[in-house]
Amino acid sequence: MKLRKELWFGFSLMAIVVVAVLAFMPWANLLDGHLSKQDLGLLGLLMLALIVVAIMLGFPTAFTLMGMGVFFAWLAYRNVDPALAGQQVFDAMVQRTYGVMSNDVLIAIPLFLFMGYLVERAQLIDRLFRSLHLALARIPGSLAVATILTCAIFATATGIVGAVVTLMGLLAFPAMLKAGYNVKVAAGAVTAGGCLGILIPPSVLLIVYGAVAGVSVVQLYAGAFFPGLMLASLYVGYVMLLAMWRPALMPPLAESERRVPLPLFAQALAVRGGNALTGLSRALTGGGGAGVSKRTALGQLIVTLLPALAIAALLGVMYRAATAPVVEDNVAGLVQVGGLAESAAEEREQSTGVIGAPEAEEEESGVKEPAAEKVEEASPAEATAAEEKTAEKAAAPASQERLPAPVWFWVMLAIGATAIALIYWLWNWERLEVFKLLLSSFFPLALLIFAVLGSIVFGLATPAEAAAVGAFGGFVLVLIYRFIAKSRAAPPGGRFAGAVFWGTLKEFGTIIKESSFLTARTSAMVCWLFVGSGIFSAAFALLGGQELIEKWVLSLNMTPVQFLILAQVIIFLLGWPLEWTEIIIIFMPIFIPLLPHFGVDPLFFGLLVALNLQTAFLSPPVAMAAFYLKGVSPPHVTLNQIFAGMMPFMGLQVVAMFILYAWPQLGLWLPSVLYGR
Amino acid sequence: MVFFFGRRIPAMQKILLFVDKVSTWVGHAFSFLIVALTLHVAWEVFRRYVLDSPRAWAFDVMIMLYGTLFMMAGAYTLARNGHVRGDILYGYFTPRAQAAVDLVLYIVFFLPGVIALTYAGYFFAAESWAIKESSNITAEGPPYYPFKTVIPVAGAFVLMQGIVEMIRCVICLKQGAWPSRAQDVEEVDVEKLKEELHVKDEDIQKLDEYVVRKAPAK
Repeated sequence: MKLRKELWFGFSLMAIVVVAVLAFMPWANLLDGHLSKQDLGLLGLLMLALIVVAIMLGFPTAFTLMGMGVFFAWLAYRNVDPALAGQQVFDAMVQRTYGVMSNDVLIAIPLFLFMGYLVERAQLIDRLFRSLHLALARIPGSLAVATILTCAIFATATGIVGAVVTLMGLLAFPAMLKAGYNVKVAAGAVTAGGCLGILIPPSVLLIVYGAVAGVSVVQLYAGAFFPGLMLASLYVGYVMLLAMWRPALMPPLAESERRVPLPLFAQALAVRGGNALTGLSRALTGGGGAGVSKRTALGQLIVTLLPALAIAALLGVMYRAATAPVVEDNVAGLVQVGGLAESAAEEREQSTGVIGAPEAEEEESGVKEPAAEKVEEASPAEATAAEEKTAEKAAAPASQERLPAPVWFWVMLAIGATAIALIYWLWNWERLEVFKLLLSSFFPLALLIFAVLGSIVFGLATPAEAAAVGAFGGFVLVLIYRFIAKSRAAPPGGRFAGAVFWGTLKEFGTIIKESSFLTARTSAMVCWLFVGSGIFSAAFALLGGQELIEKWVLSLNMTPVQFLILAQVIIFLLGWPLEWTEIIIIFMPIFIPLLPHFGVDPLFFGLLVALNLQTAFLSPPVAMAAFYLKGVSPPHVTLNQIFAGMMPFMGLQVVAMFILYAWPQLGLWLPSVLYGR
Repeated sequence: MVFFFGRRIPAMQKILLFVDKVSTWVGHAFSFLIVALTLHVAWEVFRRYVLDSPRAWAFDVMIMLYGTLFMMAGAYTLARNGHVRGDILYGYFTPRAQAAVDLVLYIVFFLPGVIALTYAGYFFAAESWAIKESSNITAEGPPYYPFKTVIPVAGAFVLMQGIVEMIRCVICLKQGAWPSRAQDVEEVDVEKLKEELHVKDEDIQKLDEYVVRKAPAK
């Protein structure tokens, strides 16, 4: 029988490991049941080596872990007391399983998955891509940039790499090829963009890491935000530079591709003047209506004014935040501000009423400042909620006592005003149409993401709660978008309204059903892996393998940087044969205890791991993204072309990792500002 | 083994598909807990911030819905071959080799692990029933014994599905090809996505001209 090269390679690796394990196994002691501490530690390491081999054999990893864990845990227990060993293994098994079932971090996983499947099925990706592509038509490499941005937004909301790459492979890839883009560049943009969802929060990977490493998911999300943005902007910057440097790779769009079709009323009004704002106001006041009804004009004018309203609202929020007379966080500040503190404390009194009985009792004692202090000592979520309320209540009655607005506010005000002026100066009819397109695709999704992330990061909701609200938002998105699609497909006329309505409901039911099934399967996949690794890591700890590894690593006398690089190289190599779930769940528990020895923040390490594992999605020959794209690309696009296209983006990921190494503040700044780490 | 299953494969296949169906049905039924979980948590958030009346037992219910959801979907996931596996080498095996490896590992890893889980789970739940255990997070919390019962029940379903998978391995060893599975929704269903975006296979074929035209220019 002729074996393939890959199999030969794999089998020889496995054989080496197995032979080594057999050679080092303390056989004599194993058989008569008296293992020394040294032997047990060694056994732990051998177990680790064997698990890699067993996983490579291709058996479902959750059960591999379970079986091995049970066996080795039994060995460890037997060494202490053979009579009790069986019972102890069973206890450990069920306790670990129950620990996963009642884990309040992992609970966010099914909810985020559900939100992702729902958003994916709302089918708004083609609108999103079309609107971004028109909005960005003038910049170099516009289609590739639009592809990356669409991927980034969509992948962030859904987190499903396979679906995003496939969808963009069907949508953006043909568009880029038709526009004369180089195959490699087009393939690279689709695959690299599709993988962004792994890093940019809310990502499931970060939840899994948080659960394993005991790092707060909230802080991980806050930390991953800027590195994720940085990676996306590195991609965009690279594409734009490449397009400017070698326009042949990404020719600018033809005029016909760029033109935005104008609706009738706009065509009529455009004759009179290019600016949509003045045109619409004139139509409304009756000066130059050109046969456009006032209702249409009013509606369009409201849409036109939305950016101004948004900027004004943003400035208003800033003003309130900057001048709010609430003295947050420290009681010392409360004393210093004196008279102001009185009112603030009073408001606290009001707000504590809803928080809970203990604080209310404190209030009754009449001592205001300690009471305020008590509020701060309450659990973070409650404290934040209290501050929110205090801020709200303080704003209304205490407005005369507002602090003077700081200089930066006036700067922001100037910037805002300039932005509004600039926007409306450039606001022609095409831009109005593009804006309307964005309004119906980009903004709802962006709003959903920011609402979910914002409520997590500012402590209004736990990740699980935010995910549930996000999934609920997914319901709404599905309903609205399917309804719009259905009513567009239906022939005009009121008689069909009922049919459209019922059709939407029916489709909604199907989408909910399918999303639920997929959510159940994917959560089961991830969480059963946790169940398996629970008993496995228990066995590893019992055998004392961790101690041996720690001793060995410390004996190498590495500097923290060397250790970080070594760890990342190991994780990168593991990323070839293994999936990210396996790497984080099985191998992170080994790395995490080593971090304090080198003074590495587990939060920072998590960000590096997330960046690193994202690279694994793009590294040949196992890059999942490439195979998904290959599945929907024309036959003459070869896998090698796709791999070649991914290479520069992989390079950018490595650059991003180095930037993060060099300036950890990039990831740690936001958590430190928000949570005072 | 081969001798034993020799003539009965069609009948056997029916039984396999039936057990698949049972696992899938149970999985589907429990999948809807995610909808309940979403609505429950969203409603609770609404109560807390808008109505100002959070409920103490909400967290317990959240945990129970989540734990039951993923445990009971275990067998369903196994029936769909959905548990993550390191397929870097496995994918290159012939079906017979795959079946042989799987069968051995089902006996070596799967059976001890899952039997231990089910067995231990049974006593774990029984103890909880005996004392009518309720939540330790809040006073007067909801009862926890039904939730703990999920462990042995889910374990039993996974075990049943695992035995079916082992029989599949035996059939595959005999026939040289994997017996069929029931159909279900897929995460990346390319045909469906094509339909969704109104892309036809001909369109993709046609794109080739752009690719080929580029190639010589390089």
